[in-house]
Amino acid sequence: MSGGPPKALPSTGPQSLRDMPHPLAGSSSEEAVGGDSTPSPDLLTARSFGDKDLILPNGGTPAGTASPASSSSLLNRLQLDDDVDGETRDLFVTVDDPKKHVCTMETYITYRITTKSTRVEFDLPEYSVRRRYQDFDWLRNKLEESQPTHLIPPLPEKFVVKGVVDRFSEEFVETRRKALDKFLKRITDHPVLSFNEHFNVFLTAKDLNAHKKQGMALLTRVGESVKHVAGGYKLRSRPLEFAAIGEYLDTFALKLGTIDRIAQRIIKEEIEYLVELREYGPVYSTWSALEGELAEPLEGVSACIGSCSAALEELTDDTTEDFLPVLREYILYSDSMKSVLKKRDHVQAEYEAKLEAVALRKEERPKVPADVEKCQDRMECFNADLKADMERWQNNKRQDFRQLLMGMADKNIQYYEKCLMAWESIIPLLQEKQEDK
Amino acid sequence: MTESNFSLKKIEISVSEAEKRTGRNAMNMQETYTAYLIETRSVEHSDGQSVLTDSLWRRCSAFEWLRNYLLVYYPHIVVPPLPEKRAEFVWHKLSADNMDPDFVERRRIGLENFLLRLASHPILCRDKIFYLFLTQEGNWKETVNETGFQLKADSRLKALNATFRVKNPDKRFIELKHYSDELQSVISHLLRVRARVADRLYGVYKVHGNYGRVFSEWSAIEKEMGDGLQSAGHHMDVYASSIDDILEDEEHYADQLKEYLFYAEALRAVCRKHELMQYDLEMAAQDLASKKQQCEELATGGELFSIWGVTTQLFGQETPEQREARIKMLEEQIKEGEQQLKSKNLEGREFVKNAWADIERFKEQKNHDLKEALISYAVMQISMCKKGIQVWTNAKECFSKM
Repeated sequence: MSGGPPKALPSTGPQSLRDMPHPLAGSSSEEAVGGDSTPSPDLLTARSFGDKDLILPNGGTPAGTASPASSSSLLNRLQLDDDVDGETRDLFVTVDDPKKHVCTMETYITYRITTKSTRVEFDLPEYSVRRRYQDFDWLRNKLEESQPTHLIPPLPEKFVVKGVVDRFSEEFVETRRKALDKFLKRITDHPVLSFNEHFNVFLTAKDLNAHKKQGMALLTRVGESVKHVAGGYKLRSRPLEFAAIGEYLDTFALKLGTIDRIAQRIIKEEIEYLVELREYGPVYSTWSALEGELAEPLEGVSACIGSCSAALEELTDDTTEDFLPVLREYILYSDSMKSVLKKRDHVQAEYEAKLEAVALRKEERPKVPADVEKCQDRMECFNADLKADMERWQNNKRQDFRQLLMGMADKNIQYYEKCLMAWESIIPLLQEKQEDK
Repeated sequence: MTESNFSLKKIEISVSEAEKRTGRNAMNMQETYTAYLIETRSVEHSDGQSVLTDSLWRRCSAFEWLRNYLLVYYPHIVVPPLPEKRAEFVWHKLSADNMDPDFVERRRIGLENFLLRLASHPILCRDKIFYLFLTQEGNWKETVNETGFQLKADSRLKALNATFRVKNPDKRFIELKHYSDELQSVISHLLRVRARVADRLYGVYKVHGNYGRVFSEWSAIEKEMGDGLQSAGHHMDVYASSIDDILEDEEHYADQLKEYLFYAEALRAVCRKHELMQYDLEMAAQDLASKKQQCEELATGGELFSIWGVTTQLFGQETPEQREARIKMLEEQIKEGEQQLKSKNLEGREFVKNAWADIERFKEQKNHDLKEALISYAVMQISMCKKGIQVWTNAKECFSKM
């Protein structure tokens, strides 16, 4: 339980580990199955926990070397840490198995959340519950309330803004599932958040709605007090590091926004290219029908262009499904971080104001009054929590982006490799001498 | 180099330069045109060295004259086409301006190709006018004019008429005409779509250049990630700029297709000539048949009902002497007509035989050339894919160092 500066907790925290639940995450099937890049959420029981044969060394070679095609798995990230002693992980959470529920009032999707843990906070070693997006939203709000000094990971967007996307399409549901899985894993990896009661309830309760209605108010001391911080205090001076973080986040979000726009533009151009290719290929077929000796070569070229078209479609789909969502996630992350920074500013401002007020009071006791001390405590707690979270965030960000960009490069390489193979295979066909003239 | 030495194995022809010039035309108005330097070299047997034997400048119109002359004098030959005068099937980056240096350059290559085609044709290479085109600096145009080829050219109207009215053309020519129509249509379509494909591909590559800039900006605020991002951005720039060369190479493929697009027209010209000759033949046969019929009527004293019989009734009788004279005239005409028909028939058959021989030659040439074109296109695509793999592999390595 967090009640002050983060203590040395018995377990988690970022450490070197291999992301074990590959198949649980269900998105690394491309590793084993040649060329098959659509993950199946149902590969739940393929591997067992504690399988350590693939431990990677600290600060070792990057994620992408695991397999040429592992890049598209968002969950295939490694968390490398400066701490040399990597402790054993004792909490594993996975999101999979999306199912559609049709009721009279509404239709919605639920996801299976599987938890395995040896922690004392969990009564059973294993749990399996079903949750819908609303429930994740509730969890996030509760975490924000109860752990205001920490960075809470973002959720994928609630509503689909752009275009007419089918909420129940396979691609959309899969993209969302990955994001939700990531969300829970980030919490799981956090030394403080993972012990939050709401998180526990979310993972274990049979009937979450009953809990929601009870309005569990297990707010921590810090949470309570921070919640009541009023605005309106002016900040004297922001500590350098927080100012720097703020500036960094501003530029960071801007750059990500630009990259998002570029990626969307590329997809648009690629789709238009695809449209033309789809008309181009068949013309060779039409021509082939007119010819004798040239019929096979022309038909071969037509087929080749067809293969390239298919490969291009895969590339654009992957970019849409894997690349863009992660970018957007980080933009949301930056936004929520900025609001936490603001809260921190408020806490500091309140403290400074109180301190100033005390200094002005003539009938001053040499001892600093209790409430000012409390404020100082609050501020220092906040600063420490935030600092630790920022470091963790920077580290994770680096891993995530390394993986994301390597993934993007990988997808492009695969696309070109497929095209290369197609064109190389028709060269012998084109060079073939025909017996009959 | 004398005419007798003139054979394809012994000479090398090149259109080595193109120059913009201004001059005054027939109406004394200033005009700009392009002139091309044609160099002919004879290859010495012993050491394979070539010696420059002729070098002269010709403008575009001279090439057209040459071709038109060949069309008239060799109607049974599929005469190689000239490259396009105006840039068509362009994708947006390419200029549609005829004076654009890239276009002029491609035209130069096209004209050289035209001359090489002529030189490698078993029949056309021996043509005197072609020889003079390469060697006679002045007065070449006058020399061509003196052949009177313009007068000998079949009128378009006559040809059109024949096409519609011919009753019994050789089936192979009907098929060939059909084929050339289809070929023209499909290659046009192909070239149009290819241009659009090129446009889109250009867009895809160029947008990636933006990554270069934003990665660079982003790297400025990062500590450990900075270097990796920066160098990856550089590779994105390389990727974006690689498309220019790729598409330039592809233009060569488009030019190869265009040549055969224009060849379709040459095929049709041969078919048209056949139709014209066949129609001529049919008309002559018809004429002969009617004359024979006339003769018969007159001989039998007009008992057969015919226009002739009627008119003579209407306009008064003719004397037996007159009738005799007419019959005699007709008999002479019929004799002449039979002779003509015979020679026309012979001509027609000769034409069909020779034309078909050249068409077979053309078919083989076409199959060979287009196969080569497809192979080189595939090779281009392979090269493009390999470049793509290279760039992205480099970028991936940079990302891995982030």
